[in-house]
Formats: sequence, structure tokens, C-alpha cells
Amino acid sequence: MAVFESSERLQEVLGGFFQFLLTQEEMAKKLLASKMVIKFNYTDPALSITIDMTGSEGIITFNDTKKAEVEMSMKADVAHRFWMGNVNLVIALARREMVAKGPIPKILKLLPIIKPAYVLYPQYMKEKNLNIG
Amino acid sequence: MAFSDFFQFYCPTKLVFQPGISKDFSAELAHFSLTKVQVITDAMLVKVGLVAPIVEGLKNAGIEVVSIFDRVPPNSELKIIQECADEAIQKEVDGIIAIGGGSVIDTAKCVDILLTYGGDLVNDYSGAETLSGPLKPLIAIPTTSGTGSEVTHAAVILDASTHTKLSFVDRNLAPHMAILDPELTFGLPAKLTAATAMDALTHAIESMTSIQTNPISTALAMQVIPLIRQNILKAVLNGQDLEARSALMTAATLAGIAFDHSMVGVVHGMSHAAGGLAGIHHGLANSIFLPWGMDYNFEKCVETYAKVATLLGIKREGLSETDLARQGIESIKKLRAELKQACGMAENLSEAGVSQDLLEAITEGAVNDGTSFYNPREVVKEDLLPFVQKAFK
Repeated sequence: MAVFESSERLQEVLGGFFQFLLTQEEMAKKLLASKMVIKFNYTDPALSITIDMTGSEGIITFNDTKKAEVEMSMKADVAHRFWMGNVNLVIALARREMVAKGPIPKILKLLPIIKPAYVLYPQYMKEKNLNIG
Repeated sequence: MAFSDFFQFYCPTKLVFQPGISKDFSAELAHFSLTKVQVITDAMLVKVGLVAPIVEGLKNAGIEVVSIFDRVPPNSELKIIQECADEAIQKEVDGIIAIGGGSVIDTAKCVDILLTYGGDLVNDYSGAETLSGPLKPLIAIPTTSGTGSEVTHAAVILDASTHTKLSFVDRNLAPHMAILDPELTFGLPAKLTAATAMDALTHAIESMTSIQTNPISTALAMQVIPLIRQNILKAVLNGQDLEARSALMTAATLAGIAFDHSMVGVVHGMSHAAGGLAGIHHGLANSIFLPWGMDYNFEKCVETYAKVATLLGIKREGLSETDLARQGIESIKKLRAELKQACGMAENLSEAGVSQDLLEAITEGAVNDGTSFYNPREVVKEDLLPFVQKAFK
């Protein structure tokens, strides 16, 4: 059974979590320094989340047609496991659990920045009473 | 040795080795049912007469060579790929034969994407695992012994408009077959022989120290190191030495398979940056940076470097693991000195014509290079700069 029962639920959880990450001062500063637009394309259920980090603050949009420098495609379940800290991005790419379009070095450079998020994700869900996984 | 949490091994490329085989590999070609092919190469190889006998062999095998694209530069770029692909599509070829070094083979991989699926190379396919299925047959015939591109599932191409290198990584990018004919390297100049072999040596060593190293890639890399150490000088001093040429070609291919699975580290990071900023040949840059990159990683890699030292021929007796590891690095410096004496290959950035003003930028480029992620020690600008400075003198 899929972790997220609907696109709405996925948007609520991951969309909300990304918004939460952008309120974390240190991480947000480093993410905004990347000046990237990154789009996550999820399936099962379907949703795309775009994070525009080109300005002075991050902007999150859903099912946006905006062109992104990097597009990451994966099942929503894989995304959940990733933010739980249980998926190694490099291995996921090698196993085709994730597909990355765009400059791979830039994607890899984001990994150390988002490391604290693996701790924050389960905490965030607990605080929001989002009982998943 | 600590085991990785995960590893996989996938090398779909059929390897066929024999001196002289590039002139007639009709038996192997029969498996592909090719009728019309495009040959992708560079003008120099055509000029020195390396391409004509291979084309003749293809014709004798009943294959029509409808296009010979020979405009691939040393660092191939998007514009060239589009021109080459347009020609392949227009001539309706059903396969590609790449004859050349890494730039030619990487070009052929990208042309094959456009030939098979069409679309826009950068927007649709740059990145990792973006292809939806297999490509049309691609046969790689390397004419250097270094890059290993004939067996890797990646291609790196220059975007001249942004001066950045674009990477394409997909299991379907590995050529279907590699024809390893060491006689094709007989005419390779001594300096290029040395630089490309040092490139392969770097692939082997960095594949052993990468955070993604695994027992299979290490087994291959361990075979590579003595093959190169024992044959590099022989091939540099006598380009016609078939045994040495055979060893180097085999080593480069094995090293290619090894690093294709393990990736590389900070030595490549520095070389990529120096290549982009100063135009220094990739193999030469790796040769210059190799001992300094090893030095940078030393504390994390003592055990592996001790193993490398023994593979380079250093006797273990009486030496501690740390001393043995140090001897390994010194042995590489000694090898470079021997190569300098034999063919004049530069030992440092200064001799290679790189300006001292670029050292900081090279360091920064290495930090931001994708290979840094796989390096066993975090690549930090302040920590790395002294090693880049040492590589200058």
C-alpha cells in the first residue's frame, strides 16, 4: 500500500515539509545560495512540487509548468523513505528508483545541505500528527 | 576492508581483444544485423590512416558506411553532436562505429541518444538514468589507452555557451561492443601514451578509495595497477611494443569498468577544474595531481595506499602500513620523473603551462566538482589549496 493515499495528502505532507525547511534559517540560506529551481515529480500518487530558490526567499508551487534546472522523478514512497534518511541518493539513482534530469554535480552538492532534514522530517510529521510509515 | 552497504555490477559491453582485429571483426558484427552505419572519428585519425582500414573492413562485412563524421574536437561540444546526429538521422543509419579516444566515444554515445529517441539532448537527457530504453548499436574502437569510455555508461560533453561540462549517465549508454586493437595505439605519441596511461592509473587508484568502492571494482583496479606500472615506460620508449601496448589497452578498459562502478575523487575534481580553466590535457592533469590528491586523502586511505604500493612493486618487508602507503605515493612521483626523462611529460602545473593565478580557482572548481562527493575525505577549499599549490611547483 502506498504511503500517501492521495495527491492532496502528499501535497500536505511534503509540500508542508518543504515550506518548513525554508523556515530553517541556516539551511534556507545555503539552499538559496544554490540559486536553483528544482522540481520533484512524484508518482503513486501524482504530484509535482517546484522549489524556486533563485530569489531572496524560496517559493514552492505545485503542478507548475515552470522550467526547472533540475528535475527529480520518483515514487512518492521513495521520497518518503528518502526524507526519513533511509535512501542513499546515489544508490537510488543507480537502481533507477530516482531519475535526475539536469546537472548531477549540483544535485550532489545539495546533499550535505539537506542532511539535517532527515532528522527534521519525522519530527515535523510527529508535531503535525501526520502518522505515516 | 569494510564492505559497502550496497553494490551492483553491470557491464553490458562485449569486449573483443586482438591485435589487428579492427580491420576485420565481421564475425562479431554479424550479431548486430547492421546495414548502414555512421563512423564517428576525428580528422587526425583519418589523416594518419587509422580509419580507412576499419571502414574497408566494415564494407567487406557487407555494411554500408554512409557517413564518416570526422569533426569531433578534443573536448566535444553540443553543437558538434547536433551536427553529427543530424547527419546520422538524415542518412537513416542503424548503428554507430566510434573510432577514437574519449571525446569521440562520448560524442557517439550522445549522437546515439538523438538517433534513437530524437528530442533535445540537454533538456531531455542530461542527468542520471533519463533514457527509457536501449539505444541503437554502438561499437567503440578506442585509439588511446586511458579514458575507458568504451565501457562506461557515462558521457561528458562541453556546453560552449556556458563553459560547463554536462554529464549524461545511463546504463543504456555503455557501448554494445568494444573492439580492443592495441595496434591502433602504435602511432600514439610518447607524451600522449604517458598521459593516457596515467589517466587509467588514476581511475584505478581512485576507484579503490572512492566512498562507493566495491569488491568487484577493486578486484579489477588491482589488476590494472601492476599492468600499467610494468608497461607504461616500455610503451613510451617504444610505441611499437605490442606487449606493452596490449597491457595498457587492457588496463585502461579494466580501469574504465572499475571507476564506472565506484566513481573517482578529488584528483579528478582538480583535473576537471584545471582542464576547464587552463585547457590542460585530462590525463596529464591527473598525472600531476595524483600524488597530491592521494596525499590529501592519506589519513583516510592508509590501508588502500599500502595495497597500491605493493601493486606498484614496493616490498612490504620491514615497513609499517603507514610507511608502505607513503612509499606508494613516492613511487608514483618517481614514475612521473621517469616519464619526464623518457618523453618530457610535465611533472607539475608550472611545467604544464598553468598560470599560478589559477590555483585558487582550480581549488574552488575541485570543491564544486561532482567527483568531490565520492572522495573519501570531504573536499574543503582551505584544506585542499596547499595541495594544489604543491602540484604547481
